[in-house]
Amino acid sequence: MSTSSTCSQISEALIAGRQEELLKHIHSALEQGTEAEQIMNEGLVAAMDAVGQRWKAGDMFLPEVIRSAKAMSGAMEIIRPKLIESNVKTMGTFVIGTVLRDLHDIGKNLVAMMMEGAGFKVVNLGIDLEPQVFVDAVKEHKPDILGMSALLTTTMPQMGEVINALKEAGIRDQVKIIVGGAPVTEEFAQEIGADVYAANAAATVDKVKAMMSAA
Amino acid sequence: MVQTMNQTVFRGPQFRVLTDSQIERIYGAAIDVLETVGAQFHHEEALDLFRHKSDAVVDSDNVVRVPASLVERALRSQPRTITLQGRSGKHLLRMIPDEVAFGTGSDLPFFIDRTTGDRRRTVRRDVCDAGKIVDYLPEYEFFMSHGIVTDAPNPQTYDRHQYLAMLETCTKPMVLTSVDGEGLNDLWRMACLLCGGPDNFRMRPQFVAYIEPISPLNNDRTAVEKLLLAAEKGIPAMYTPCPSCGATAPASLAGMLVQSLAETLMAVALCYLKQPGTPLIMGGVTTVMDMQTTTYSYGAPELSLASAANTDISKWLGLRMFSTGGCTDAKCLDEQCAAEQMTNLLYAHLSGANLVHDVGYIGSGTIASLDSLVLNNEMIGMVRKFCAGINTDDDHLALDVIDEAGPGGEFLTHDHTFRHWKEWFLPRLQDRSDWDTWTADGSRTIVDRTREETDRILAEHEPEPIDPAIYSRLRKIVKEADQRHS
Ligand code: B1M
Repeated sequence: MSTSSTCSQISEALIAGRQEELLKHIHSALEQGTEAEQIMNEGLVAAMDAVGQRWKAGDMFLPEVIRSAKAMSGAMEIIRPKLIESNVKTMGTFVIGTVLRDLHDIGKNLVAMMMEGAGFKVVNLGIDLEPQVFVDAVKEHKPDILGMSALLTTTMPQMGEVINALKEAGIRDQVKIIVGGAPVTEEFAQEIGADVYAANAAATVDKVKAMMSAA
Repeated sequence: MVQTMNQTVFRGPQFRVLTDSQIERIYGAAIDVLETVGAQFHHEEALDLFRHKSDAVVDSDNVVRVPASLVERALRSQPRTITLQGRSGKHLLRMIPDEVAFGTGSDLPFFIDRTTGDRRRTVRRDVCDAGKIVDYLPEYEFFMSHGIVTDAPNPQTYDRHQYLAMLETCTKPMVLTSVDGEGLNDLWRMACLLCGGPDNFRMRPQFVAYIEPISPLNNDRTAVEKLLLAAEKGIPAMYTPCPSCGATAPASLAGMLVQSLAETLMAVALCYLKQPGTPLIMGGVTTVMDMQTTTYSYGAPELSLASAANTDISKWLGLRMFSTGGCTDAKCLDEQCAAEQMTNLLYAHLSGANLVHDVGYIGSGTIASLDSLVLNNEMIGMVRKFCAGINTDDDHLALDVIDEAGPGGEFLTHDHTFRHWKEWFLPRLQDRSDWDTWTADGSRTIVDRTREETDRILAEHEPEPIDPAIYSRLRKIVKEADQRHS
């Protein structure tokens, strides 16, 4: 079977969220000698782009999108080491958490899942986190992007505190910072010195991708 | 004289979502959850109460499982009625089954600015304005802050500033959110100043404490701290789950109801162990997560359906109910807004919930709007008329009147009309004029007329002031809190 038809089988399985079938196709493609990079670009990324578009168009809905995202995350477990082996640039690492005194995590978890779906390695730190936890995580995981979520006007300023703590630790410039949550605005994001604000999970993926390709 | 016998009369339309047998199934399932799955508590005193004062089981990961026997003892200790009182003593709010009161919601981060029409952050002044509107409008019986005071000196004391702002312009009973146990304690101290002390507060509480578990089946430290304080001081509390179906609860409404009920009953049991008889109001904003936008929907029909079902359950359990209505996902006062707010107002009333909150919310629980509050007053009026049902006594059957008018007669000049037409709903903001009159008057929409009415209320209404001596003592509590947190 041709490489392109394998890639389209991979895409199909991913769009349908059929993880088992997806992994089977990926293994056989690799066995046939298809490059991991090609599987990623022509199979996986293309499919997730389509999922994103269908979601926006109202042709797919969150439970289906999440299925695809989860399948993507499973696929990347296999593909990522191969990309690293052959020195191909991966999508990168994304660290995310909800700030101190804030217990809201539904939106944050969705963002995390969508970022996994976009091919990122995601480290989800949890909720109610001291600024130091973010600082330590940046040091440990060396993420390309740090994400913070806050759902309360009373906890929003904590995102600024984290940015200050990163500056104090001298590592602010090592990551891009994206923030979001119901009371957060573009204006506020700028005020505290974040790089990007996103209003929802789908926009987060778009904005992060745009930022990565601009970099 | 002939006397009528064996009559059954409806005081209003009859509405139920669940039968007793369905409720039994949901209750049984909730007990099952409590006995086998349990709920997690992040609070030492709560865990100790379960460990040492009951036959609950506390597992190593702080998951508490309670037996049906404890839940039912706790339920029996619940008061069947709770009466709240506003600060001036003029407004009483009695909660008994099927008596429905409406009120606002709290803490909205954004506010529709009345000059620019744009969304901006809510400030103290906005909360005062919302209080004034609620104080004035007759269809509101209780007040929640509508917006959040974001210009308080410290986020950790915003609750005291907010309560003071609410008190300045509103004399109706309230439902209050708080930062933590310390915050709630300050709010209670403030209320005690207004009503003459803790004993009076216990008899006629001035507010209900709004507290929430974290679905599914999780109880964070501050929520439990507030719950235990409420039990200690005799502050009526509501422990309202906010599950979003498909995300933090099963996607099926019945499953969500089971889980929410388990969360509520766990709190009933805990309050009982702390202080039997602590009034605990059942509640919740029970809705679905929109699977296209990820929004926690305030306009979904599932919200009305699930809330009404919960109200049926509350009556069966003998608990009072805090329900949701008058809210929408729309961002402004448009057709979607009216359709959604009207729908959930109507069903909340029909269900017979005691406190219907979040009236006036727009933007899926993120945006406050004074005009929305004013428009909802009109819609509640319509709903209340409908829910009052039809009187079929002799005077209302009007046999003699029909007889007098006879075939081809008229009723406009009849005394009966003069006496009875005032039972009808009287529109204040709606337009029922003819085309020519309407266009001659500038083709104004209901939104235009609502805006004018809001302006008028803000300009003219003067809420009863707080005694200056008490006011300065209230301020002192707020100031001291600021100092503690500076
Ligand atoms: C990193 O980059 C990014 C990028 C994009 C990011 C991002 C990060 N993070 C989010 N996004 C964006 O993408 C996500 C996906 O599309 C989106 O995430 P969202 O989280 O917005 O969307 C979710 C998918 C669905 N939305 C939600 O899940 C939130 C819904 C609402 C109703 C809500 C819920 C459910 C809850 N609550 Co809370 N709660 C409200 C919320 C009202 C609202 N409409 O926002 C809000 C946020 N709560 C509020 C309040 C007051 C509170 N809550 C509290 C508690 C809770 C629950 C635990 C009951 C529950 C949370 C459960 C959980 N596991 O998260 C309390 C605080 C607890 C605490 N310390 O954190 C408490 C303080 C109430 C109290 N006094 O007890 C209000 C905030 C007021 C304010 N001005 O700050 C509130 C607006 C509701 C209201 N009107 O009162 C985007 O914002």
